[in-house]
Parts: sequence; C-alpha cells; structure tokens
Amino acid sequence: MLFRVVLSAAATAAPSLKNAAFLGPGVLQATRTFHTGQPHLAPVPPLPEYGGKVRHGLIPEEFFQYLYPKTGVTGPYVLGTGLILYALSKEIYVITGETITGLEVIGLYIFGVKKFGPSVAAFADKLNEQKLAQLEEAKQASIKQIQDAVDTEKAQQALVQKRHYLFDVQRNNIALALEVAYRERLHKVYKEVKNRLDYHISVQNMMRRKEQEHMINWVEKHVVQSLSAQQEKETIAKCIADLKLLAKKAQAQPVM
Amino acid sequence: MNQNLFTSFNIPVILGIPLAVLIIMFPTMLIIPPKNLINNRLSSIQQWLVKLTLKQMMTSHTPKGRTWSLMLLSLITFIALNNILGLTPYAFTPTTQLSMNLGMAIPLWAATVLMGLRFKTKSSLAHFLPQGTPIPLIPMLIIIETISLVIQPVALAVRLTANITAGHLLMHLLGDTALTLMSIYLSSSTITIIIIILLITLELGVALIQAYVFTLLVGLYLHDNS
Repeated sequence: MLFRVVLSAAATAAPSLKNAAFLGPGVLQATRTFHTGQPHLAPVPPLPEYGGKVRHGLIPEEFFQYLYPKTGVTGPYVLGTGLILYALSKEIYVITGETITGLEVIGLYIFGVKKFGPSVAAFADKLNEQKLAQLEEAKQASIKQIQDAVDTEKAQQALVQKRHYLFDVQRNNIALALEVAYRERLHKVYKEVKNRLDYHISVQNMMRRKEQEHMINWVEKHVVQSLSAQQEKETIAKCIADLKLLAKKAQAQPVM
Repeated sequence: MNQNLFTSFNIPVILGIPLAVLIIMFPTMLIIPPKNLINNRLSSIQQWLVKLTLKQMMTSHTPKGRTWSLMLLSLITFIALNNILGLTPYAFTPTTQLSMNLGMAIPLWAATVLMGLRFKTKSSLAHFLPQGTPIPLIPMLIIIETISLVIQPVALAVRLTANITAGHLLMHLLGDTALTLMSIYLSSSTITIIIIILLITLELGVALIQAYVFTLLVGLYLHDNS
C-alpha cells in the first residue's frame, strides 16, 4: 500500500512515471519471490527410535564425552563427588529429616524400577504389538477375502468352459420333448380323422341297412297285400296237396 | 531450614512470587497426548491406564451420568498424580491444602445435587428418607439426612486433606527421629529407617486410594442424582 503512495508521489514528481502507477500493485506482486528456499517441511526427517543415551538414568552420555578429553573417564564422577561434598560441608545442603526420607524414597524408586522395569516395558511393548497385530489381522483378512474372491472367480471361469455339456444335454432333452409332442399330435390327428371317417362309414352302413329293411318290409307288405283271400285259399290247398304227396314219397322212400 | 514441622506445607515462594499455580499445573506436563497409533512406552501405558480407569468407573452410570466421564477421569488423574509427586523429597503437595480440596469438592458435589434437583426432583428428594422407616422417626431422620447431605463436600475435602497431610507429617516426623537417633542409638535408627520404608509404601497406596475414593464418591453422588 505504501508502495502505491510512493508511486503516486513519484508520479506527481516526475510526470513521465505516471503511467507506471497503474502497474504498481502488479509489479509488487510480480517481483515478490516465492518458493526459492529449500522446502523444510517435507520430507519429514525420520524420528529417532530410541531416546538419548543416559548414564545412571539421569546424566546424558554427552556430558561424559564432553569431559573425556580433559579429565578422562573419572572426570565427571570426581566433579559430582566434589560438588556434593562442597554442598554438604558448606551447609548449602543441610541434612535434615527430609534427607533421610528423601533418600529412602529415591532408594525405593530405584529398587522399583530395577525390579519391575523390564516387565512393565514388556507390557507396554505387548500393548503396541497387540494394536499392530489387530491391524495386521484386518489387513490379512482383507487380503484373504480378495484372494478367495479371485479363486472363486477362477473356479467359475473353469466351470464356464464346461458349460457346453449342460447345453448339449438340455438340447437333447428339448429335442426329445419336441419329438414326443409331434408324435402325440400326429396320433391325435390320425385318431380324429379316423373318427370322422368311421362316422361316415357307419352312417352309410346304417343307411343301407335301413334301406334294405325298408325295401324288405315294403315288398312283404305289398306281397301280403297282393295276396287275396282266394289266392290264399288256393295256395294253402295246393300246399296241403303237395305235403300229402311229399308225405307219400317220404313214406315210400324209407321202405326202400 | 525447617523451623517447625509444618514448614513443608507452606506454599513455595520464589522472590515473593507464590508458585502454587505452577506446581498445580506441573502434573499436566507428565501426561503426553498420544500422537500416533503406536507411541512410546510411557504414552502406551498411560493410554492403557486411562482406558482401564474409565471402564472401571463409568460402566455403572446412566448415559446422562457418563457425560461426566472427562471430569471424573481428569479428577482422578489430577489427584493421583499430585499425591504421588508429593512423595518426592522437598516436594509441595497441593492436595494438602484444604483450600484446594474444598475448591474441588464443593462445586462437584453442588453440581450433582443441583442436577438431581433439577431433573429428578422427586427422586432426589426421596433420597432423604430411606425405605421402611418407622413413622415416628421420620422428622428426625429427615434432619439427619439433610445434615449428612450438607456435610458431604466438607467430608470429601477434609478426608483428602487429612489423609495426605497426616501421611506427610508422619514421614517428616519419622525422618527427624531417624536423624536424631543416628547419633544416639544407631540400631533403632535402622529400625526407624525400615519403618519409613514401609510408611512410604503405605503412602503410595494412600495416595492412589484417596484419589480413587474422592472420584468414586463424586461418581456415587452423580449416580444417585442422574
């Protein structure tokens, strides 16, 4: 913003620079440089797995290494002893009842750590391991599921190759069924036609029989009608005379 | 350094600035919120302890009572850590101060009572009269129950204060005794030292138990009134 003020002041001072005032903010943004340094947020350097090495649980190892060139191995210990003795002798640190209690508390604490430390550490490690194992199990279950799906898919594909047997059998079945249906219908047609033809034949037979009977009856009726009483008497007398003759002939014959 | 027995219960002061607030805030530096899924051992053990305590404490509550989980869990952690840290030599234990314990007990107790009176008025008032009391005793019993209700926060605070203070006092006394006896009669000094060891173990237990009892009782009042 101040840059714009400066630019406008420069424009009033030097009119040739007036056109530059419009470029002011853009110039400001264009000349600002971004992303020039090394990116220091990523990749994150790996965190150390273990903490710094400590001697006696309190004093970092670097302190001993720092004093080693000048005082050797015993240097820090001599320093510590000297400090303690100095504090005690000058009564900077006064031995009271608190000292004894404090010493006992610290002693108890060290005893506890030495005795239960490894088991507590193992317990903590076991807790973490359980968490990891759970996740690992979930991962393995997922992998197994996918593997099972792949195997099932493969088996399905193999089955698909053998599908044509099924289709052949089905085709044969259907052909058989069609054949049976066809023959059945053929037979039905045959029976129906025969039925109708039989009907016609029986109708014809019946007609002929009826005509025959009718004719016979008609003939008989007319013959009986045509026979007058006179003719009937003569016929009967003739029949009797014939019968007598026959009787005579019959009597005569067995004698022979 | 110690003019009388109770100087260790004075609030430490540096250049005239009382350090009570800093000392009370110190235990929070020991509880590290877990960052990753797999943390270091300390965080894992703290996580496991928190889960264990939570399950132990809050399963018997109603869902409304379980909204107090954070409060109760932080309460027990705070009291337990303060008590345990107070066992280190030359440490100041905030829970020996009645002011702090009353400041913890009265609001929590009042919250449970007010919650009960507001949401379950009849049921919380019914706590004043246990079932099956003979009729002539009722007026007296109600007065007694009221007194026992009003005394609950005071009892909570004073119980915690008295237990921790008494333990610390005993430790100081025995330490002084051991020191004095060392120049007179060394063997009884050794015995006193052994007694102090036992006492420290007891103090450790008392520290944890008092925290537990405090939180448990607040939970109980909550359960009654939720």
